[in-house]
Amino acid sequence: MARKSSGMQQASISEFFEKNKHFLGFDTLPRSIITAVKESVDNSLDAAEEHRILPEISIEVYKVPGKKDLLRLVTQDNGPGIPQKSISKVFGSLLFGSRFHTIRQTRGQQGIGITGVVMYSQLTTGKPTAVISKISREGSAIRVNIGLDTKKNKAILSNEKRFSSDEVNEAKGLHWIGDHGIRIETLMKAKYQRGKQSVHQYLKMTSIVNPHASIDFKAYDEEGSIIDEASWPRVTDELPRPVKDIKPHPHGLEIGTLQRLLRDADVPSEGEGANTPLRYFLRHTFSSVTNPRAQDIISKAGLTPKDKPHLLKPDQVNDLLAAFTKVKLTAPPTDCLSPIEDLLIKKGLSKAIDSRFVSTVTREPKVTNGNPFQVEVGLIFGGDLPGDQPIQVLRFANRVPLMYQQGGCLLTKALESVDWKRYGLDHPGGRGIPKGPAAVLIHLASTNVQFTSEAKEALSDNVDVHDEIRLAMLEVGRGLRNHLKKQKQKAKAQEKFELVNIILPEIHDKAIAILDEEPVPLAPVITRIMNAVFLEEKLEWEKETKVTRASVEIYNYTARPRAYTLLSTWPEREGVTMVENERGGRREAKGLWAWKLETLEPGTSTTLTFTVGGLTKGDWSEFDIFFRGAGDIIGATKMDEEILAEMLRVEELEAEEEEVVIDSAPPSTQIEIDMASVETTPEVIIKEDDADGTEPDEGWFGVGRGEEE
Amino acid sequence: MSATQRKTKEEVVENLHGVAREMYKRMSKGEAPTMTLPVRTKNNIGFDEKLGVYKYGAKRSIRDATSLGSARQLLRALHIIEFIEEMIGSEKSSTLREMYYISEAWGHGKFGSQNESNNLAEDLEIVTKCLREDFKLRPEEDGARMIGNLTLNERNRRGEWMRINARDDVGDSGYGVPYNVESEKIELVEHDIDFIMAIETGGMFDRLVENGFDEDYRCGLLHLKGQPARSTRRIMKRMNEEWNLPIIVFLDGDPWSFRIFASIAYGAIKTAHISEYLATPSAQYLGITSDDIEAYDLPSDKLSSKDVEALKAELSDPRFADGWWQEQIQMMLSLDKKAEQQSLAKYGLDFVTETYLPEKLAEIGLGL
Ligand SMILES: Nc1ncnc2c1ncn2[C@@H]1O[C@H](COP(=O)(O)OP(=O)(O)OP(=O)(O)O)[C@@H](O)[C@H]1O
Ligand SMILES: [Mg+2]
Repeated sequence: MARKSSGMQQASISEFFEKNKHFLGFDTLPRSIITAVKESVDNSLDAAEEHRILPEISIEVYKVPGKKDLLRLVTQDNGPGIPQKSISKVFGSLLFGSRFHTIRQTRGQQGIGITGVVMYSQLTTGKPTAVISKISREGSAIRVNIGLDTKKNKAILSNEKRFSSDEVNEAKGLHWIGDHGIRIETLMKAKYQRGKQSVHQYLKMTSIVNPHASIDFKAYDEEGSIIDEASWPRVTDELPRPVKDIKPHPHGLEIGTLQRLLRDADVPSEGEGANTPLRYFLRHTFSSVTNPRAQDIISKAGLTPKDKPHLLKPDQVNDLLAAFTKVKLTAPPTDCLSPIEDLLIKKGLSKAIDSRFVSTVTREPKVTNGNPFQVEVGLIFGGDLPGDQPIQVLRFANRVPLMYQQGGCLLTKALESVDWKRYGLDHPGGRGIPKGPAAVLIHLASTNVQFTSEAKEALSDNVDVHDEIRLAMLEVGRGLRNHLKKQKQKAKAQEKFELVNIILPEIHDKAIAILDEEPVPLAPVITRIMNAVFLEEKLEWEKETKVTRASVEIYNYTARPRAYTLLSTWPEREGVTMVENERGGRREAKGLWAWKLETLEPGTSTTLTFTVGGLTKGDWSEFDIFFRGAGDIIGATKMDEEILAEMLRVEELEAEEEEVVIDSAPPSTQIEIDMASVETTPEVIIKEDDADGTEPDEGWFGVGRGEEE
Repeated sequence: MSATQRKTKEEVVENLHGVAREMYKRMSKGEAPTMTLPVRTKNNIGFDEKLGVYKYGAKRSIRDATSLGSARQLLRALHIIEFIEEMIGSEKSSTLREMYYISEAWGHGKFGSQNESNNLAEDLEIVTKCLREDFKLRPEEDGARMIGNLTLNERNRRGEWMRINARDDVGDSGYGVPYNVESEKIELVEHDIDFIMAIETGGMFDRLVENGFDEDYRCGLLHLKGQPARSTRRIMKRMNEEWNLPIIVFLDGDPWSFRIFASIAYGAIKTAHISEYLATPSAQYLGITSDDIEAYDLPSDKLSSKDVEALKAELSDPRFADGWWQEQIQMMLSLDKKAEQQSLAKYGLDFVTETYLPEKLAEIGLGL
């Protein structure tokens, strides 16, 4: 709470808003209700997430009887609530937000959102908005009516009343149940609609990317009967990772920003700050800049640690900026980002849209202009999706659905830049949105989402983000291509199986019956027809034991004995384990298990099964089988040992990185290695560190604290 | 005539067994079962000088059970063979449509469509050199109607021979030609006519009947009912061979009528295996010709794109290779017109019997 009040700031642009309400999503009647719902739901999700509460949100839209285009919106959440003294600021003044000056991924960013709703309501109906807030540490709820003085950017409060939870009086607008949360009731000129751009669609999309939230929606006509209703229950109890504020990362920083940071540099006048102010500044202003890296940057910029940040000349600032790009830095900490994670994207998509195939990718976080960002993409294919229309594009920025200006949005442009024909979708002329029974979800998580306008509907161009999305698209595209290829192969194999196992024996039986002849052995005929080794794999969810059973059947339909080692992919990760695995085998790499099979005589088959626990139904829907051994297997891929070696290398690297992250205090030898890479003589630096021994930076010497504190 | 030599029941069964035997032999050698049959496309049809009809050439295709589709075909063929043997044994017959429904009980050997079962029955005719009639399989299609002073013996359901004169013993709709017109069912007894006129449409047939054209011109009138059934073509062939009657063909003037004529005179792709048994190479096309459209200034329609396509295909069809046909086809293409038989009514109901046909028949020496 402390941070909240101190972080809140305000600015006076109420008048500006009145003139520019179209920028803020209140330009048309159908859109206004969506915007209002969106602002409210965004805030509820943000607040719940910050306070580690599993959100339960309800939205009700009523058509007001006897009035054309007049809607009453009632939203309620189970978030932390807002203390009484802040209510008027949150709902009654623009640019009052808790996160206006922090770098972190949140939905709300500008402190305009909910006040805009109150203002729109006021402007179109002249009526105040009723807010009920209940915070946990208070026994009663507070109800306030908020109107706005749009000239003075001030709230006009009325009807303030405390009431206890058993005191429910609908007529007076007093209604509260629960320990904490916010309820907003507002009246506005707006039009309720259905379709691609509707409250319903917005909430559906929201539920896809917020699998941890329960969302209920009801719309009523003038008579009070329900005309639309939906409920998206939560599919995971896992809250999005708590996000942290971070410092800017030097890579991609703009000169203006750097100048501002240098000018405002807050360097202590004693200790390290006094001795080496520039180095202190670098270490404490930016993320990913360790002591040696700071030294590295300084020498590459031709400066000295003793330079004073605010006294640097423009040339020197330029040199410093250039030096940033010459130094290898670890990526900025990504705990400020909250990706949905591919597994939950898969779940969210599958629950909202029926399909046959889901492929998802969560890319590693990257940095653009000093801001970390992360791209996630999900592609679903098949099922009930229409095949002859442009695919559905579901765009999200920081878990917020984007429903307008699809064509002008960076996310769409990146999608369109892929040659989808190569991945199995129809893409006439290789331009525009591809066609086919598919839907693509694109999520950009970023500490600084850049929109083309304040309406926050389309993302503005950014090469780094564009490239990341493209790469993610290619990845899911490859998944789709693989899937389609496999489907085809499978169908073909299935046909062959039917041929030799069903039709051929019937031909034989019929022929000998007609001719009154002796039976002949069919095995050689089958071998002749198939002349290959076939493999069939399948995954089944076992309800009682809650494991996913993988079975792989392999048939030798050749004239020779065959010996193979089979390798199977499986979703190895924390909490996911192999439960049954009779054949043993061994782990070859992360997510890749190998079994050496007994020799398969001609005309025989064998089955390999294993079960995997720690997953829920549908988590694991497709896997790949590789093999080692002579001769091809239809239905499996020959193991490419180079790729395997590469996998192992990556794994090793990841393991190393993890170690670093886990004991955020590297052993002292690590320092020496780092020092060695610094061009200035290491002794000097060590001496300097020793010299200013007043404040030993514990983080560096293995006490286990993060270096940022 | 080799194929017109009818086979005994034993020969039919023996030939059918040959198909099963080919499959069995292959399997006992450890190979995929096969069925060998002639390629049934236009480019494997050639003119048989000796017989004067178009027949399948030497190209053979082997249907082997290495793909699911082909394997199913083999299994179906075996089911049909078994079914035919049963029918021969119990002296029953069934229509192709009935067989299609009976195949419902054949499990994996069941047909996907009626067309499939018809084609397979034809395949079996081809490889066994037997006729559908030998297989006791009846077509669904209607036989023709005939009117004229000709007398036939037909064996009825009770196995008795009935003598029928197609002028005196029939009503206005004429004598209905049964599906089996082979000698065990139909005997040609006697006639007092000079030629047979085969007519495409029912309306024109009825017009000629009403106007008494058969009597005035001493001919037998035969209603083809569009693309003529096998039995229709077969009875024309028999009357042509056994009675020496010329077959005169009177059709609409369009590309499709040209094809009807070709199938009467030279055989059709689907039945090229029994062309010598069905086709009447001496049949003559009377009209409507492309010249007629101009000469009689007949009401006409513009050719559709399908018509044009059909005409172009006919230009390279071996059955239309002779100069007269090439001219007629080219002329129709350049006129860009087609006309129906009944468009002759433009000049009155009697114009066809009083002017058009007399003039056309005179041209070929059959006038009064
Ligand atoms: N339902 C809620 N529960 C708890 N706190 C809330 C709720 N709604 C708003 N707040 C607080 O009020 C602040 C202002 O909200 P507002 O929507 O005006 O701006 P914002 O969400 O910060 O930015 P944006 O303009 O992008 O929406 C939020 O930052 C949050 O601290
Ligand atoms: Mg907000």
